[in-house]
Amino acid sequence: MIEDSAQNQLQRLQAFETEALVFTSQLYRVALRLCRDKAKAEDLVQETYLQAWRSFHRFEQGTNLRAWLYKIMFNVYYSGQRRQKLQFVGTEEIIAETIAYDPPTPQQLTDEEVLAALERLPKDFQIPILLADVEELSYREIADAMEIPMGTVMSRLHRGRKLLRTELTGYARNAGYRISK
Amino acid sequence: MQKMDCHNFKEMLDSYFCEELTVETNHSILHHAERCPSCRNEMASRRNLRLALQRACAQDQMSDDACERLRAMLRAEAAKVSEVRSLRRWWADFFDLKLALPIMAGAAALLVAVIGLATYRQLPISHNPAEAPAAEKLAALHLSDALMTEAASSHRTCAFHVEPDSTSQGMSNDEVKDFDPECVDLDKIVAEGAQGLPLCLAHVCGSSDRRFAHLIYRREGQLVSLLVTRRDGRAMQTGSVPTFIDGLADVQESKQTELNLDAYQTEKRVILVVSAMPKFENEKLARSLATPVVRHLRRVESQTALLEWPDFSRDLIGIELMTNVRGGKLR
Repeated sequence: MIEDSAQNQLQRLQAFETEALVFTSQLYRVALRLCRDKAKAEDLVQETYLQAWRSFHRFEQGTNLRAWLYKIMFNVYYSGQRRQKLQFVGTEEIIAETIAYDPPTPQQLTDEEVLAALERLPKDFQIPILLADVEELSYREIADAMEIPMGTVMSRLHRGRKLLRTELTGYARNAGYRISK
Repeated sequence: MQKMDCHNFKEMLDSYFCEELTVETNHSILHHAERCPSCRNEMASRRNLRLALQRACAQDQMSDDACERLRAMLRAEAAKVSEVRSLRRWWADFFDLKLALPIMAGAAALLVAVIGLATYRQLPISHNPAEAPAAEKLAALHLSDALMTEAASSHRTCAFHVEPDSTSQGMSNDEVKDFDPECVDLDKIVAEGAQGLPLCLAHVCGSSDRRFAHLIYRREGQLVSLLVTRRDGRAMQTGSVPTFIDGLADVQESKQTELNLDAYQTEKRVILVVSAMPKFENEKLARSLATPVVRHLRRVESQTALLEWPDFSRDLIGIELMTNVRGGKLR
């Protein structure tokens, strides 16, 4: 009986490792944007997997493991950051009002420029963009993971992408000035 | 449905890339892009931006150290939990006995529990859950360079003969029946994943060593090949065909000069998608085109083998694993 239990545990761990650990880098990239610090991001990923392992028996096989892991990560992160989460609520509307026009996307972009522009966005916009455009989660998965309504996901993506393009147009314009001087 | 003008096009373009639109709206987007040069430019720029984002972010990976720490932590946690559980169970048994039987029996139960615990403590808990065999299994699934070269060369040769704006009526089933009866109506099987991309060519081609059922689609002026062939010894890096595994390693990437390839495997066949599109784009398109084919083939193959293959839609696991194998180790 004892042997059974240890053996079971190992089998469960193996299953968990095979299924869940392939997402470490994907989780880490989002963690990095949340924490803005490598060591903290690694800790967040660790804690996420620990929590996931502890409730793995509750995970329904066949449902979306990746979205479930993200959801745990957001919970872990926000449970330690409740105040900051609230701070974002007001900024969204203000920023949305400042971008009445939609600039065309610059054609020549380096990866560094794009990354720098992304970093400058508020987290509330950065994270959905990262999940949708980089990690390629569906809008529904993002809504589930972030526990926000689907409509909010779409509006944040819409505004966030616009903001990102505005940032990039700024870069392109600056680059142009430099050349003309 | 809304009328597709330049404003709507730009509003919906990002959702188009995210595959969040209906098939009809996808059509209108592509149709509008064909007619409107400025929107076509915007489409290219936004795709470029999306790819730049993906490239730039892909550089951020968890360090090997952190991955190792993570594994160690999980092992420690798993060992701890199993220990606590066994203890609880023994205590429960002990008290049950004590309530049900006189003190003598209780003492005997205590003795048994103590011996049980002592035995348990001596039990080694393995800290290495068969990593090596998993890596070997995955390495055995590596497709050969020869296959990749042959697929790339079929794409080049056949695409060369495709006239601009030509369309194909579909595969001639007599031709394909001799090659592989399961590839009959291949273009109709792919249709679900092709989402309205025009089919330019459908035939059986290749040399005597390596034959393909070959479909060519056109996407924004570029040609994309979907090839199905046998998973024989020559198709595998090791030269021998491994028994099919638990559906982990589905996709393998390759680059042949200007072309990008993504290959999926079923037990008996390999499905390849080849194009000159950037890596991310090819990968994504491959997933969409190959998924219905893989699903179909796994179904028919499992009917013959009386085995059920895992659901293919959980595909990202495969991509990550194969990438890691190429890096020489399993993470």
